[in-house]
Amino acid sequence: MGDIRQSLLPRDVLSAAKELLYHLDIYICNLVQSGRQPPQVDTKTLELVEEFILHSPKDRNIQPRRMSALQELQLLEIMCSCFQEQSRDAVRQLMFSALFSLQGNQADESRMALLSKLVSMSVAVGRVPILECAATWLQRTHRAYCVRLARVLVDDYCSLVPGSVSTLQNIHSSSPRFCCQFITAVTTLYDLTTEDLTPPLELLQMIVSWLQDDPHLVLITLLNTPLSGSQPISSLDLTPLGGLVRWCVKAPLAYRRDKKQVLTNGTSDNETEAGPLFSTLHLSVLQVLMLLPSILNEKGLFGRLALLQLETLATLTSDLSRLLDQADKHAHGPSSDAHALSQLVLDRLAQALQVALANGALLCSREDLRAICSRLPHNNLLQLVMSGPVMYYNNIHTPPMAFSPHSPIATHQPLAPHPASHPSQYPAQPFMSAMPFPYRPNH
Amino acid sequence: MSVVCDGNPPKAMQTSHTHTPQNAVSAQELSQEIKSFISGVDSVQGRKLSVREHARCAVRLLRSVPACRGAVLEHLRGVYDEHVSAFLHHLETEGDGSAGVSSNLEDIIQEVHGVLSEFIRLNPRAWAPLVSAWAVDLLGQMSSKHAGRRATPHSSSLNELLQLWMSCAATRSLMEAYSQCLAAMLAWCPDACVDALLDTSVQHSPHFDWVVAHIGSAFPGTIISRVLACGLKDFCSHGSKDPLLAPAGGGDKGSRVPKIGSVVGILGHLAAHHSESIRKELLRMFQESLNPSGPLSPSSSASSWENSPQLRRSAVPFLLQLAALSPTLLGAVSAELVELLRPPVLLQLQALLLGLPREELENMLGLAVHLISQSPTGGARVLRFLADTATPASVIISGPTPSPLDGVREACDRLLQMLLLHLHKLVYNRPDGTEGMGGAHHSAQPQRAIPFLEELQAHVGELCAETLRLERKRHLWLHQLLCLLSVYGGPSVSTEALCQLLAQARNPEELALAWQLHTPLSACLPGLIPAAVGRCVAQIHTHTLGPRQLRQLLLNLAAAVQSQDEERRGAGPAAQASMAAQVGGAVSGHLHDLCPLLLHGDPAVSHAAARLLSASPLPRRAAAPAHLLQLCRAAVAHFFVALRRRGESGAGRDGGQAAEAAGCSALLLRRLAAYSSLALKAVLQQLVEGALHKGNAELFGGRIADMAGDTPLSPSLTPDLGASLLDTNCRFGSAVNFSGSVWSVFHAGVIGKGLKVRAAKPPHDPATVVQNTQTLLAVTVQCCSSSALNGGGGGADGSQRHPSADPDEPPPPINAEAAKVVAMTLVENVCPDVANGELSWPPEEHARTTVERDIHIRRCFEAHPVLFPLLQVAAAGRPALCYCSAVLRGLLATLLAHWEASREALATDSPWHLQASCLLVSCMGEGQLLPPVLGNVHEAFPYLTPFEVRLLLLALWEYVRGNGPMPQKFVFSPDKGLFCRDFSRDGDVARYVAPIHSVLHKNIDRLGHLCWRFQL
Repeated sequence: MGDIRQSLLPRDVLSAAKELLYHLDIYICNLVQSGRQPPQVDTKTLELVEEFILHSPKDRNIQPRRMSALQELQLLEIMCSCFQEQSRDAVRQLMFSALFSLQGNQADESRMALLSKLVSMSVAVGRVPILECAATWLQRTHRAYCVRLARVLVDDYCSLVPGSVSTLQNIHSSSPRFCCQFITAVTTLYDLTTEDLTPPLELLQMIVSWLQDDPHLVLITLLNTPLSGSQPISSLDLTPLGGLVRWCVKAPLAYRRDKKQVLTNGTSDNETEAGPLFSTLHLSVLQVLMLLPSILNEKGLFGRLALLQLETLATLTSDLSRLLDQADKHAHGPSSDAHALSQLVLDRLAQALQVALANGALLCSREDLRAICSRLPHNNLLQLVMSGPVMYYNNIHTPPMAFSPHSPIATHQPLAPHPASHPSQYPAQPFMSAMPFPYRPNH
Repeated sequence: MSVVCDGNPPKAMQTSHTHTPQNAVSAQELSQEIKSFISGVDSVQGRKLSVREHARCAVRLLRSVPACRGAVLEHLRGVYDEHVSAFLHHLETEGDGSAGVSSNLEDIIQEVHGVLSEFIRLNPRAWAPLVSAWAVDLLGQMSSKHAGRRATPHSSSLNELLQLWMSCAATRSLMEAYSQCLAAMLAWCPDACVDALLDTSVQHSPHFDWVVAHIGSAFPGTIISRVLACGLKDFCSHGSKDPLLAPAGGGDKGSRVPKIGSVVGILGHLAAHHSESIRKELLRMFQESLNPSGPLSPSSSASSWENSPQLRRSAVPFLLQLAALSPTLLGAVSAELVELLRPPVLLQLQALLLGLPREELENMLGLAVHLISQSPTGGARVLRFLADTATPASVIISGPTPSPLDGVREACDRLLQMLLLHLHKLVYNRPDGTEGMGGAHHSAQPQRAIPFLEELQAHVGELCAETLRLERKRHLWLHQLLCLLSVYGGPSVSTEALCQLLAQARNPEELALAWQLHTPLSACLPGLIPAAVGRCVAQIHTHTLGPRQLRQLLLNLAAAVQSQDEERRGAGPAAQASMAAQVGGAVSGHLHDLCPLLLHGDPAVSHAAARLLSASPLPRRAAAPAHLLQLCRAAVAHFFVALRRRGESGAGRDGGQAAEAAGCSALLLRRLAAYSSLALKAVLQQLVEGALHKGNAELFGGRIADMAGDTPLSPSLTPDLGASLLDTNCRFGSAVNFSGSVWSVFHAGVIGKGLKVRAAKPPHDPATVVQNTQTLLAVTVQCCSSSALNGGGGGADGSQRHPSADPDEPPPPINAEAAKVVAMTLVENVCPDVANGELSWPPEEHARTTVERDIHIRRCFEAHPVLFPLLQVAAAGRPALCYCSAVLRGLLATLLAHWEASREALATDSPWHLQASCLLVSCMGEGQLLPPVLGNVHEAFPYLTPFEVRLLLLALWEYVRGNGPMPQKFVFSPDKGLFCRDFSRDGDVARYVAPIHSVLHKNIDRLGHLCWRFQL
């Protein structure tokens, strides 16, 4: 495949890229048909892609050629149809990864730019195959790049073009996998630490409506992924549950902070609109958590796969205690409003902890919980959760709380021995919670 | 669980569901749309899209496919460009009517604009940077591309350009979009926005100016400060070692054009309408760069340059650089900046600049000097500031420890010296130097203007005043500057400066500055001193100088002229020599202009004028008679004024001055008299007339009241006797005055009321009278004896052979012509009736017909004692006394009548008549109207009786009757230098001597000792 370079060189930018795509398609088809395992695209080809599609300078002497925005759009359009027309999934996946797998070189920037545009366009014109490939890409790529892609989509559809959220909303039906990964990326991106990292209202509405429509959505990746145990390092979480829990718990405080800034301008619809949304979202998250036991049992992972990491929660609680402290300080004395807010936060946290604990999403002991929640202010519910089910203490098989009539108690598997002892056996997700977020877009 | 039990579905969710685009497009349709957009062909119908349809398609994509926005905007560039082309084409082919209608894309432009502005409004953060960059780039591109078109005005005519582009829908829309973006972005990242503007401006330099101008005038406050901040950042990043820092200023703008160029351009555009805010911004930048304590003003949070120490440090160089590149900006700041430079600010500035490397400091210094020399306004203030700051603090203030201001002072000192050096170079290296002054302006090449000096030309007076204060270093600087200014400004300025110095110097040291100024200038500015003197005179004429200044000016000029005399004696420095001579020459040309000053109301001024005139040489060429006469009249009048003042002021300082004034005046008169015969005659005539004038009479012991027959007393002095003019006329028949004629009648009072009352005025102090008389006589004699008539030499010679210069030499004889003038004038004044009358005497009996005239003459002599000395002068200048014949006769007649009627025992009982008789006779003897025997007769009078006196006088009369007093009887004896009368040719004297001998005999007891005097 390397020999076509000479024929590509004299071409103009666009036709060279088109031709390369054409050759790439043929080459990968051959590769797949040859049946070699695993099918591997050779370095020469990757270099060609970088030179003729991504236009990264091959060597310093040659001025890299640039495509105009129009040519780029044409290329994107060609790619769209190319993926659309390719019927074999394996070929598509290989091609996609040949084009967009990060190589850790300087072409990655243009790769990301092209990918973002391609995905954004696919969302608009509903190219499901590309979205599926992108979902896979999101699973395999370092989260820093994933959140960049998510950010582009959010910017494009939630802020840049008014009224185009509905287009993005449609991915739920067209590619649930992508949708799920998108949610995970978005919840990772927007951690509510600053105003800039607070999700736009449109995005929030969209996610809430998605979850309301289909709570299973967030579990699709979990359902579809065979647990090979070889998750790429620092990829996104398997499910957006952790991020969503964080959103719901932190939201009252975060939006309150926003409100303070907004109040000077005289408007504060953000909070009034976001409040109920997060409430709804919280309910959905709890519902999803309650779906877990059956799914995990089905896969035989119940009690062995911690979808919520204790470390994540520890970060969350320490954040919370800091925020609450700040809120107290800013409140200047006891204010019922601030108190209610902090109680709401802690209530949500307690609910999430309890439900996660009960449904096998969180594998830890009550002591661990007490340790991570020790610095939080007092909250009745949280106290209750931490102290554990005293009245049922002898009967460990009984679920600790029967709070929902829908939840079939009988389906719950006994947790024996205590779940806290398990995670060491199953290193479910090598997630380094202490890792700083180097990928946060700096503004 | 309250969260869950909320019940109502959130409102926002419903809206999110219902919120779908009005024309919801399916993914399939969108895909088709993209295909159409890319190919430009309607993918459904398969036909080519028109520009308009294509653009609409693009707009639809913009609304629905975010990923396409880059491509869409790119496509729209083409659409806009097409519209502009069509627009310009339409303009160019205006007459064709239908042209341009077909491709009128205005509606689609409007549509695009609507969409974009909606986007910007809804989400400024996302869209404003995008659209602003796009719009600015597109504007720049189109401005450049269409710059050469026939319809587009030249880029220099900014207003026309602006008008053209704003009338084009495409560009206007872009401009509006950009304005909207800018307005939105100002809140959070104005720097980026202005950066883009500046970059584009640099790229499309002159053609893009209209955009900047428009934007700038729409957002003056922000744009100005941002532009400055951007420029500063750019300057800081690579400006410090910029070649532009060299004082030459803007020489090479070769490879890399820094942003500062466009900063200057933009601010230059805005200066037309927003110079005030530009000025404020520049000054604010300066002030804040000095403030070590971070940003103070709320606006500074937007532009954060204040927070970087490096940026703050380069703010001052940056501002200097800006000013160097744009005279407008320089003009805007220079005036105010100086006001800001108070000591604390200076200290801060010093602290700030201490951190800079030496080379850079040198550059800045050079730049500052360049700027000062180029600054069109406020130069005087800058100069004063520099001089004030650089002047060392007085000894009292500066303590033992060196004050922190010392550094500032030294820096200022240095700056000032460099400025002077720079100006020196500029002034002396100008093309077509100052030689072209004298009307030889053959080269049309204009001299390079130095604004600083241009402006200072208006402040020459202040500069001179400051220089004259002789403050340590300061006057040296200022003096140097004055020199430069004079050379630069040519004759007018140098004249002005010299003139000011002359008028303002108060002592020799200060006056020396004037000569020091003249010395370097004399080389390049010929005729400077005459011009300066002429200017001084002009100022005198226009009364612009106060009395003090006027006096000072005159004194200074006098000192200058006198230094010439000193120099002639070998005392003065050679440098002053030529100058003093020049001043003298110049003054001599203006004598007639200066002479009115002799009669100035202020004694000091008139004195100074006298000193000047007396010192200055008289014109070498013959002066115009009118001028000369004027001068003479003024000089004589001043002489009498001086005498009067001398009398009034008594001793003391005033007295000394008055005496000096009189001396000066006398000297002046002498020199005038020596100048020419005309002047001599005029002076003498005036002198005599003046001495006899009733206003001056009392100076010489005269009594006006004695002439009361001619001058009625003022009513206030005499009680009203009820006598009216009408009555008088009725009673005496006529108001015609026949005095002196045979037929005249005279009266000594109103009949019945007794004699007229004589005004008894306190007589003058006799000593003063004597002194005055002496002075007058001395002057008269000196005038008369001057050599103007004899030698015929010029005025210069006359002044040289000064009578008083050598006291040992006997005084030269009185000139006959001069004496004649005195005599004639005297006659005219005493009794005009007899002037030019018969010189020979009638028999004594005929005197009866002239009684009244004779009485008038006698009264005149009574009233003016000074007449006798004057007669003596005339007598000394033989044969002048002959012309007084009639007066002498009249006086003698009255004396004869008196002695005849006198019933006193002795002649001494009528003292005045005795004295008059004696003086008369001695005069006639001196004047050789009488032979010596007869001339001695008066010696006997005091011992005689009135009758005997009459006898003797009668004998004289007889002699004169027999031997008429004719001038032709006199012959010039060259050995004596005098005219003499040979009495031997006349008849025998013996017969006239007989009565004398009789009287001698009769009174031999008393007159024995006199007998030898009457031997024949």
